[in-house]
Amino acid sequence: MSKPSDLIQGTLDLLILRTISLEPKHGWAIAKRIEQVSEDVLQVTQGALYPALHRLEQQGWIRAAWRKTETGREAKFYELTKAGRAQLERELAQWERLSKAVGLVIRTAEE
Amino acid sequence: MNLRRSWDIVRMRLRSLARRQRVEEELDKEVRFHLEQQMEENLAAGMPPAEARSAALRKLGGMTQIQEECRDMRRTETIENFWRDLRYALRSLGKSPAFTVVILLTLALSIGANSAIFSVIDGVLLRPLPYPEANRIVRIFFHSADYPKFPLNPFDFRDFRARNRSFESLAGFTRGDLQLSGTGQPERFTGFQVTAGFFDVLGLRPARGHAFTSNDEIPGNGQKVILSDRLWRHRFAADPNVIGRKITLDSLPFTVAGVMPPGTEHPGNEYNGVAHGETVDLWWPFAFRGDPAHRGSHYLEGIGRLKKGVTSTAAQAEMNALIAQLAREHPDALAGWQALVIPLYREIVGPSERLLLVLLGAVGLVLLIACANAANLLLARATARQREMAVRTALGAGRARLMRQMLTESLLIALIGGVLAVSIAVAGVRTLVSLLPAGFPRADTIHVNAVVLAFTLLVALATGILFGLAPALQAARTDVQDTLRAGGRGTGSNRGHLRLRSVLVVGEVGLACLLLIGAGLMLRSFVNLLRADPGFRPEHLLTASLSLPDATYKPAEALHFWDRLTTSLDSVAGIRAAGVGTDLPWTGYDDNVAGFTIEGKKPPANQDFHARYHVASPGYFRAVGIPLVRGRFFVAGDDMKAPLALIVNRIMARRYWPNEDALGKRITFDDHPKEKDWMTIVGIVGDVKDKPDSPAAQMALWWPIEQTPVSVGNMSVAVRGSSDPALLANDLRRAVRQLDPTLAVANIRPMDDIADANVSTARFALFLVALFAGLALTLAAIGIYGVISYAVSQRTQEFGLRMALGAQAGDVRRLVLRQGVKLALMGVALGLVGALALGRVLWSLLYEVSAADPVTFTSVSALAIAVAALACYLPARRATAVDPAHALRSE
Repeated sequence: MSKPSDLIQGTLDLLILRTISLEPKHGWAIAKRIEQVSEDVLQVTQGALYPALHRLEQQGWIRAAWRKTETGREAKFYELTKAGRAQLERELAQWERLSKAVGLVIRTAEE
Repeated sequence: MNLRRSWDIVRMRLRSLARRQRVEEELDKEVRFHLEQQMEENLAAGMPPAEARSAALRKLGGMTQIQEECRDMRRTETIENFWRDLRYALRSLGKSPAFTVVILLTLALSIGANSAIFSVIDGVLLRPLPYPEANRIVRIFFHSADYPKFPLNPFDFRDFRARNRSFESLAGFTRGDLQLSGTGQPERFTGFQVTAGFFDVLGLRPARGHAFTSNDEIPGNGQKVILSDRLWRHRFAADPNVIGRKITLDSLPFTVAGVMPPGTEHPGNEYNGVAHGETVDLWWPFAFRGDPAHRGSHYLEGIGRLKKGVTSTAAQAEMNALIAQLAREHPDALAGWQALVIPLYREIVGPSERLLLVLLGAVGLVLLIACANAANLLLARATARQREMAVRTALGAGRARLMRQMLTESLLIALIGGVLAVSIAVAGVRTLVSLLPAGFPRADTIHVNAVVLAFTLLVALATGILFGLAPALQAARTDVQDTLRAGGRGTGSNRGHLRLRSVLVVGEVGLACLLLIGAGLMLRSFVNLLRADPGFRPEHLLTASLSLPDATYKPAEALHFWDRLTTSLDSVAGIRAAGVGTDLPWTGYDDNVAGFTIEGKKPPANQDFHARYHVASPGYFRAVGIPLVRGRFFVAGDDMKAPLALIVNRIMARRYWPNEDALGKRITFDDHPKEKDWMTIVGIVGDVKDKPDSPAAQMALWWPIEQTPVSVGNMSVAVRGSSDPALLANDLRRAVRQLDPTLAVANIRPMDDIADANVSTARFALFLVALFAGLALTLAAIGIYGVISYAVSQRTQEFGLRMALGAQAGDVRRLVLRQGVKLALMGVALGLVGALALGRVLWSLLYEVSAADPVTFTSVSALAIAVAALACYLPARRATAVDPAHALRSE
């Protein structure tokens, strides 16, 4: 895990949940969206993405359905379950707290 | 975790498991879609198609790896492995049918036996009594050194009831069978006279009508009766208007006050005892007759429901205080007595508890032996599979994985064994219940139920882990290189293997010896019981009981009836003797004890002369077969015109006239006797114990029926014939019918049946322990056979060499036998030591046998060693059957 673009596991879950919170997306779109929004800082490797999706599905946070894409191809779309939405809220709050705490430590250390 | 999510999770797991194919395909399709998207992007960026594709593939990384990781995420690996292990285990069991049959049979038998015994324990000991809050119900007795459990005097009881603070309700009851006539055939029913509050104590309520009140306890208030559900249905056609109906019981008018619901169980009682269960059909009020100052006669059994939070110990302390208080008011009657308060549960199941726990112990030992045996068999097979294990280890299978596989196999075996065991248990319980000793408490509640099934499952699982552990550890320890190089035999680890198996076999033999000794001791005590002189002659003897209603039979008429009955019976061809008396041997006893004065003797301080009193007609002793020691039996002339006569038993004669002749000596029950009040001992008869295994007979005296001061309305009839006593039943019925067609002859039983019922506990214990011991011995023999066969196969080469060097077949055979017998000897030594240590457990179940009986110990040792030698014989023969040349080449 030395490359800066590698994501620690919990964070990837949060990013996926956040990314599909507005509308259902398939795996490719999720990866693209994360890259775009993060201005290519966050690179999601397929090797991490699909296991993560499966894990979230197994845990009941998201569910999947096969649908047609705009180009008329079959793709597996993921969307949040109700429990997943609540989980997202929790993880966001957690993240806020954590990043604030880390920020505080870093700034205090500078002084 | 919310419900919806839980459901989602379960659904996903099930889907991953059940539709694996589909899930895999979807994953494949999903990743492929991703790949195509990537290719399109690459194409759009201007790459040539071939390069676009390989770049996309590169970016995707290892496809298989992704799939594998996704699979991991589905967390089904454990379960899938389990399925694989299970299929593997099934296949390998199928491949060695002999092994499978032996091991499954062993386990099924021993687990089944455990479940069967457990269902008896569950029904008798574990199930709560069928009364609400039954733990608050206690039995109340008087207690002294001579009479550990004595019934109460009615007036003492009434004072206890009025003064106590420990009981929510307190009640008394005493046996009072009644003869129902008027509707069909006259028939006598088991009945009890009960005080008010009896049903409150039990927590029961009549289904119809009402229970008795204290108003019903006043003599002359009109007789009421409460019927059992069974009697109401059978004799009153479930008449809904039965309450208030007049019925005739013992020729007296009774009013039906209530009908008890089905499941009204009698709490069991000691004197004129009736077993616990739905054994009673009539309840009628106990009336307090007589003078409250006279408190000498004790015949009311006490039962009470404690107030919440009061313990039986506290209640007993209060009762003792009350006795002390009453003793100040009535010094002669209550001095020397104490109270005994026992929880009803203990009173009902206490006597059978020891027997059941011994049986559970015995059957548990069988299970242990079966485990050792199964472990042994599995170890033998593990040896054969050592190479396979080594190969799998070499190919990367982890130790945990191999252990899990071995345990899966043993658990599978145990579970199949458990399923088979259930069917054995069902059949076994049926047999057990039919073998249960007469009057065994709560026999009707014994079933194979959910609790028993859960127990069986648990035992099967525990067994599977227990016997699977050794082979599993062995598998995990397999040394790959050694095993592969040695081709799977003759390595160092195999020697350790043999040692472990030998230890198991020694243990098996030891446990089997323990059981055999138990069975041997029980056999000896059973034989002793059968051989013991009963003190009377039970063969060719028919017994019955007859009750003359007070209403139609004044005392003189009753005497006349008994006289005519015995005379008429005497005249029947095939009847050798007939008599009536208040008691019969071995049918339970009525502790009717009376104190008396002996002419010219003073009792020791604080003691009195006492003995149990009975009544007998002239033919009674001859009919029952109680021998005359000295003097004479009663004769027809022992009536009110003659001087008072008395017969005593030998133990009484010896106790009170130790160095003199009791014959001709006189006693009296009168405090200020006139000359006519003295009774002369005219005969001394042999002793009869209360039960065949009672330690000693009680002192007893008999009055001639014509001279007795006690009521002669209820009598037992004894008829001695010259052949099958059952044939006499019709003669007896006919004789009674000719005298009074309204009388019912009750309890018609050949004495042999009664005698048989009295040894049934000993026989039951003997049968089961012997069965378990036999099973144990067989298992141990199989164990020895297995180990010795294995050892022989390991030493084939050595034996070949020995024979090539000139050893005779006999020498080799002896070598093998010695090895087996050595194991057996160690096992036997272990078993003997164990049996000596555990002897105390059995002691109370034995009769006139020491728990360290040398005969039993010696013969069991001999038997075990003989069986062990036999088990070694086959492998020994095989050892010598090999051709030396062949054996030497066999490596």
